[in-house]
Amino acid sequence: MKAADAALDRPARTRHKTFSPTRILAISSNTVLELVRLKVFHFFLLFALLIIGSSAFMVNFSFQEQFQVLKDVSLGAMSIFTWLLAVLSTAMLLPKDIEDRTLYTILAKPVPRFEYLIGKLLGVLVLLLIATIVMGGMFAATLYFRQEMVIAQGMKDYAGSTQAEIDAMVRQVHESTFTWSLLPGVVLIYLKAALFASLTLFISTFASSWIFTVIISVVIYLIGHVQATAREYWMLTGNLTPVKQIFLGLVALIFPDLQLFNLIDDIVVGNVIAMSMFVKTAGLGVIYLGVYLLVAYIVFAGKEL
Amino acid sequence: MPAAIRIKNLTKVFPVPFRRERVVAVKDLSLEVEPGQVYGLLGPNGSGKSTTMKIVLGLIPPTAGSTEIFGRESLKVDSREDVGFLPENPYFYKYLTGRETLRFYGKICGIRGRALEERTRELLELVGLEQAHDRRLGGYSKGMLQRIGLAQALIQEPQLLVLDEPTAGVDPAGSRQIRDLILGFKERGITVLLCSHLLGQVQEICDRIGILHRGVLVREGRLDDLISIENQTELILENASPDLLARIERMVRDETGVRIVEQRKPQTTLERYFLEVTGIDGKGTEAHKS
Repeated sequence: MKAADAALDRPARTRHKTFSPTRILAISSNTVLELVRLKVFHFFLLFALLIIGSSAFMVNFSFQEQFQVLKDVSLGAMSIFTWLLAVLSTAMLLPKDIEDRTLYTILAKPVPRFEYLIGKLLGVLVLLLIATIVMGGMFAATLYFRQEMVIAQGMKDYAGSTQAEIDAMVRQVHESTFTWSLLPGVVLIYLKAALFASLTLFISTFASSWIFTVIISVVIYLIGHVQATAREYWMLTGNLTPVKQIFLGLVALIFPDLQLFNLIDDIVVGNVIAMSMFVKTAGLGVIYLGVYLLVAYIVFAGKEL
Repeated sequence: MPAAIRIKNLTKVFPVPFRRERVVAVKDLSLEVEPGQVYGLLGPNGSGKSTTMKIVLGLIPPTAGSTEIFGRESLKVDSREDVGFLPENPYFYKYLTGRETLRFYGKICGIRGRALEERTRELLELVGLEQAHDRRLGGYSKGMLQRIGLAQALIQEPQLLVLDEPTAGVDPAGSRQIRDLILGFKERGITVLLCSHLLGQVQEICDRIGILHRGVLVREGRLDDLISIENQTELILENASPDLLARIERMVRDETGVRIVEQRKPQTTLERYFLEVTGIDGKGTEAHKS
């Protein structure tokens, strides 16, 4: 019998499962492949140019200043790039599948809608993880390279000094470069981007176009950054009517307070972040991510395709 | 065995945004498609065909009534285990190759490993795309896209295929290829629900049809019953001499109440003539090359 005939005659079906990690994995790996083949990783080049360029302009600074600026520029760029990647790549996923009718072919298979959404989000989260690791690696490599350059220069400057003085110089350089607080900083950058991926996915379940989704995400990003300041201002002026109180409460509930994620600023200047503070912020990020995903599912489950 | 598709008193009403108006897309529709049948759902644009298909597939809920697939309610996810769907003008993931596309759809249907590899190879051969398996879909022609669409619809070996305009925008050779594939499904007992504007094609392959107009099922039944002219008989002769034809005419004249309505040479179809002239065979390849 020809293979083509066998294709119609032999069943290949398996029993349907209510929840299948295999199906989610298939959708998420396809999402990663989609974004990779769209060449979204080209921005790495821009990131590399930015941090290498910024370190080249700092030769006249003290080494402490050099490392601080390098950390500031690199972590700031990582934060913006991962956020942009999260919003732009998530915004087009759902509308494109609907426009191309690909969504029909997927949901006409035994795939529950929540698995489709989780698969898509997971794909973006994996992509963001790869981006964070690669950018983190580039940042660490640049920092290490600069550190070794500064130590080599120090060795020349400290020629004839005692071993204790040289050791102190090396220790001082090391303390200005790699500190353990950099790791929670990078984790928070990732979580902030992941939170926005989930939020953007939620917006795309009811938005009319991907441009609308991006605009709303940007507006929420701005609200998230200024809401704490606005709240403080109103509280300080004492001009807090019940209506304003309800309004502020709603804003605080719906939109994430992104100022909380600005622990990175403290990390850059060398402050040690308390573990409890880090866990609290990370937990908040995970909760927001989960809540946005849940609301996205509620909207998407009732959506008429 | 339960009906492949059972639609009972189906009504779908869409609200018009920012207005109090409502659009009734489908009104009190009831029909059944028996297993193994090729059922043609016909109707002009906006008659409710696509809405009916979407409700059958569980993509949208009905306003009233119910739909079942092999006895399982359409809105339940497991009812789609036995369904393959090809939407009108589909654009699959352009960045995937033909093989990757089938692997993806296979995985979401729970097929894995060697079974998936085997199934992918068989389906690529079935739809004649084995030579183009490693090309990205962005470079596929319209006909090739429809064929890969049919292959993905068949990936989990469904017993019901829902095809929305499967030959829309496809050239005559590709169209004939798709028609032959549907006839192959019919031979193997796969139920097909077909939406098409190409009435000639529907006539060739469908056992039963339903005609929708403004959301209402205006005619439904076996195709032969609906379109045959009961009091006429067609007789096609080969190598008949003028003398024989004259004798037949005389015999008919002698009978009371019987007359020859029309006498003419049968014509080939334009599609067959086109394929003959271009030398393209049923597989979409030029005959002299194969």
